[in-house]
Amino acid sequence: MSAKKASPAPLASPIGASPPRIDAHEKVTGAVQYTDDIPFGPRLLFARIKRSPHPHARIVKIDASRARALPGVVAVVTGEDYPGYIGLYLQDRHIFCRDRVRYVGDPVAGVAAISETIAENALELIDVKYEVLPAVFDPEQGAKADAPLLHPKLEDYVVAPFIFPQNGTNISNHFKIRKGDPSEVWGICAAIVERKYTIPHIQHVPIEPHVAVALVEDSGKVTLWASSQSPFAQRNLIAKTLGISQSDLRVVAPAVGGGFGSKAGVSMEALAVAIALKTPGRPVKLRLTREEEFHTAFVRQGLIAYFKMGCAADGRLLAMENRYLWDGGAYTEYGVNVTRAAGYSSSGPYEVPNVHADSLCVYTNHPVGGPMRGFGMPEMHVGLEQCIDDLALQIGMDPVEFRRLNCLKTGSTLVTGSKMHPIGLPECIDQAAKAIGWGSKAAPSSPRKRRGKGIALMWKAPAMPPNAGSSAWVRLNEDATLTVGIGGQELGQGTFTVMAQMAAAALGVPMEWVRIATPLDTEYSPYEWQTVASRLTWSMGNAVVNAARDARGKILKVVAEAWNEAPEDLDIVNGNVISYKTEESLPMKDLVVYGLPRPDGKGWTGGPIVGDGNFMPTYVTGLDKETGQGERAVVHYTTGAQAVEVEVDLDTGRVTVLRGVAAFDVGRAINPGLVRGQMEGGFVQGLSTALFESLQLQEGVLQNPSFVDYRIATTADAPEQVEAIMVEVPQDDGPWGARGIGEHPMVPTIPAIANAIYDAVGIRLSSPPYSSEKVYLAMLEAGLVD
Amino acid sequence: MTNARPGLPEFDYIRPTGLDEACRYLKEHAGQARPFMGGTDTFVRLRDGVWHDTYLVDVKHLPGMRTIEFDAAQGLRLGAAASMNQVIEDPAIARHYPLLAEAARSVASFPLRTRATVVGNLCNASPAGDTTGACLVFDGLLEVHGTGGGRSIPLRQFFLGPGKTALASGEIVTALRLPPPPAGAFGHYLKLGRNALSDLAIVGVTALGYPDPSAGSGFRFRIALASVAPVPLLVEAAAELLCREPINESTIRAAADAAMAACNPIDDVRGGAEYRRRMVRNLVRQAVTEVWQRLQC
Amino acid sequence: MAQHLIQMTVNGEPAVAAVPSQMTLMECLRERLGLTGTKCGCAAGECGACTVILDGEPVNSCMVLAVECEGASVRTVEGLSRSGKLDPLQAAMITTGGVQCGFCTPGVLMTARALLDRNPHPTDAEIREALVGNLCRCTGYLPILEAVRSAATAS
Repeated sequence: MSAKKASPAPLASPIGASPPRIDAHEKVTGAVQYTDDIPFGPRLLFARIKRSPHPHARIVKIDASRARALPGVVAVVTGEDYPGYIGLYLQDRHIFCRDRVRYVGDPVAGVAAISETIAENALELIDVKYEVLPAVFDPEQGAKADAPLLHPKLEDYVVAPFIFPQNGTNISNHFKIRKGDPSEVWGICAAIVERKYTIPHIQHVPIEPHVAVALVEDSGKVTLWASSQSPFAQRNLIAKTLGISQSDLRVVAPAVGGGFGSKAGVSMEALAVAIALKTPGRPVKLRLTREEEFHTAFVRQGLIAYFKMGCAADGRLLAMENRYLWDGGAYTEYGVNVTRAAGYSSSGPYEVPNVHADSLCVYTNHPVGGPMRGFGMPEMHVGLEQCIDDLALQIGMDPVEFRRLNCLKTGSTLVTGSKMHPIGLPECIDQAAKAIGWGSKAAPSSPRKRRGKGIALMWKAPAMPPNAGSSAWVRLNEDATLTVGIGGQELGQGTFTVMAQMAAAALGVPMEWVRIATPLDTEYSPYEWQTVASRLTWSMGNAVVNAARDARGKILKVVAEAWNEAPEDLDIVNGNVISYKTEESLPMKDLVVYGLPRPDGKGWTGGPIVGDGNFMPTYVTGLDKETGQGERAVVHYTTGAQAVEVEVDLDTGRVTVLRGVAAFDVGRAINPGLVRGQMEGGFVQGLSTALFESLQLQEGVLQNPSFVDYRIATTADAPEQVEAIMVEVPQDDGPWGARGIGEHPMVPTIPAIANAIYDAVGIRLSSPPYSSEKVYLAMLEAGLVD
Repeated sequence: MTNARPGLPEFDYIRPTGLDEACRYLKEHAGQARPFMGGTDTFVRLRDGVWHDTYLVDVKHLPGMRTIEFDAAQGLRLGAAASMNQVIEDPAIARHYPLLAEAARSVASFPLRTRATVVGNLCNASPAGDTTGACLVFDGLLEVHGTGGGRSIPLRQFFLGPGKTALASGEIVTALRLPPPPAGAFGHYLKLGRNALSDLAIVGVTALGYPDPSAGSGFRFRIALASVAPVPLLVEAAAELLCREPINESTIRAAADAAMAACNPIDDVRGGAEYRRRMVRNLVRQAVTEVWQRLQC
Repeated sequence: MAQHLIQMTVNGEPAVAAVPSQMTLMECLRERLGLTGTKCGCAAGECGACTVILDGEPVNSCMVLAVECEGASVRTVEGLSRSGKLDPLQAAMITTGGVQCGFCTPGVLMTARALLDRNPHPTDAEIREALVGNLCRCTGYLPILEAVRSAATAS
């Protein structure tokens, strides 16, 4: 094989370009397969779940005999057969309830039948006797010493070392910050603000409901197909609770129609596996109806937050004393870490010398709090950013100036005592304020409307165990295309596309040559902790880059040997191996599988090229149990600002968001088009939670379990424009300096809107959503309208 | 927990060939059989387990159910199965009853309106129905076919309670009739939902006004309210005020206050009574002002 | 309970299916005809993920019985592209970033296709109104509206 002279000019690097997403074609043609689209043949069984109608009760007796006798029913399963506990950070949950039920919707039994209709009919034939127990519907009530105990065995639960349950209570985690001493400085504060904010439960509402299919073979091997953000975590947790080896449970994760955290960890997936264990040889499909989604899937837990903060006359923040009581729900196996994250972030993105914070996760008889986009940050920032505005106004300082003065900058001391890495938060503030036209107000669109502008900041770190890892492999094909194996999931955020860009850039090939090995399958995909925490671009990106560089090194070694050159003088450009010394050039195809002949003509060198790489942060230290102080609490922070312009209708109270501006420090925008997609989509999701969303729970029963009364933003509610500003202060260990952005654009939206409402009509509400009704009644009370 | 089924429950689909056959079938299977057209309310109720019918009788294709006819003397005959989109696009309705088209356009979404019908909206008898106000202020009546033959029910006598109508067992509504509209009439439907568009009405205000020399003010108004009473509510007191006294900002305010006093909203998952009351006042003021401005042009 | 044998035209091709009375058009497309492009997001006519074009008009296919479609003509997302060439709406959605998770996409495309078929040059307000029944949780709608605008201008 002879080499050609002259190397072609290198293609522009895909890094920083916005090529269209690589899965767009199959999505617009309807060809992409989501889990419910996969045909499983005529042996497929359908499952339905019998659920508790009570928020808290003892299960006295379950009689499934009539259900078992219904023609078409193949199996009925209860918690009797599954004694194991399951949970991510705290194992406090069974697959099916055993001795008691703890929320309306808690699974009590499962039926597998030859049709979904028969399975549904069989549920009526399962008789369950309950003894109703006193319930807890409020975290403040639940935290009291005399509250009914929802988890008497809390002491015995297996728990991650950084979570601190208070045994003998309903408090499953108590995170403390004790930094400096606020009591010493309240006296010298020029202004102090003390407020209580109540954040209701909301939900992720992916347009694709949860679905799982499980098949247990006679050999005992289990396969689970699920709409999943976390195939490896699901494999790990379900295998552990069943007492089987991880390698005996295979998880396949096809395309996902929206996650936002609801499809992370384990929720309904374990039910499908438990039922399938009773129908060996026949796959079992479990789909949640939309109503079941609202009643029983993960929710974003409610929060009661008390803030006290004070500043000096020149505007410097001197102290904060914050108390967060999280309505964790019936099981807090995941939610305990939301509590922790809010604790170590409790100051907001500000430098405050004295902070006392207590963040408590409390069991209640409410649906299960789980990970939702922002992981505690949206809930916390609602009140915090309004208090900041309040404080600024009290001392007569512009809210943007106040934030500029106090915000975290490179080298700032954080609430945990660590130092802030290089960040561009000040620039985000400046750009957001400028873009929204801070300081000027356009006339309202009619005499009965008022306009306002508001700004809010945010910060967030990936909340995860200190050793959450990523891995990747890169396999070269004969035609020199590469197949990249990853364990992180495409949820719509664009990770498959970004990984292709990174692999192409790291190897030296056009992006079109990169394929991602899909669907994710624990059988061949490499390990990825979970697709959460906005961690993939940074963590999995590093792994993909390492794998691509590994493959690159192997290719160069082969060619170096064939050409009798040093690998350092060679490069891969545009899919060709070139020598800077001799200007030889050789296309990569064929050699990446078949190798090259030796220079002496006696034999061959090389072979099929496979590169591998991984990434795991090694530098996160713990935090002191009593003070929350530590050297390095988290891997890094993404910070940013949002500004909005609203109009309030004096006759109806309706708040219309006219436009929004999002400015975030993303380190490096690998694909600015996709980053903009997160900023726009996150803004509108945030707007939706600000104006419309709450799960209306009464005595533990959800009153609005459907789209009819759980409203989300529609095309009519999206603003005219959302400007997306990308600030780039590189992350030292991010690929090309990148850090995460997936969650952050929905974190500051509620307080930005709240601050804009205040600017427009001078009222503040103690809890979202800022429905027309709530705004009108508040204006009425304030004497603004009659 | 109320939990809807994954899909529709089992039932038999019945397709009668004539009206008499349909009515006979419904009467014979009373309690187990139900007529349906667009299905947008029927299917939801069946899936939710609120209704348990085992026979669904499709009446859309029966003679006269889909046609829309207008003549100057008789007015409008709107076939029961004409879709809301058909109503919105019909030239006669656009010309003579634009308020009805405006109200229909506020319902849900275009794809849903391909199936939804105005008569279905009326027979659903929800106090939140968007088109009920327009049909009431145009003095509509329903043509009904039953096992004993045909009859008419004026809309003012049709709504008996939430979900309850004056239809007897075995009866099918075949058409909505609206008499010729008053000359020079203008109307407006103002709907307050949670989202900017679509959604159910938290409060709905229908206002129709037309010149009438016999009225003290020279004009007559008809005002109907949605979602603030067990049934769609015609507010006579407010209309009275606007017909008696010269119309100005002050009379309009008084009429709006009268409407507020006449309504009887409840607290529910969508909104509170206090807010609804005040929105009735504010929206009646707005709707009547808008109609009044157009009457003066 | 009775089974009905129905014959329809789907994406220009004849289609035959045996369906129980209560099977919806959505279920028939997905489970009998293997056309899984049409999605189920709520089964209650609220989210628009199941939108198809039935006899020229867009409908929520979860609110239509299969048995009502005897003799009808149905167009689904699988029938949008012709001989491998994408419909201008599909191409525009790729360019503007109107697709993220893709689950609402088929319904959005069919509603938008029906809009442009009846109103080739809609205003921005008309586009928003036409798509108000198609819920999207990922994109925030702006790139979807841009795609429809762009496809309308192109044709």
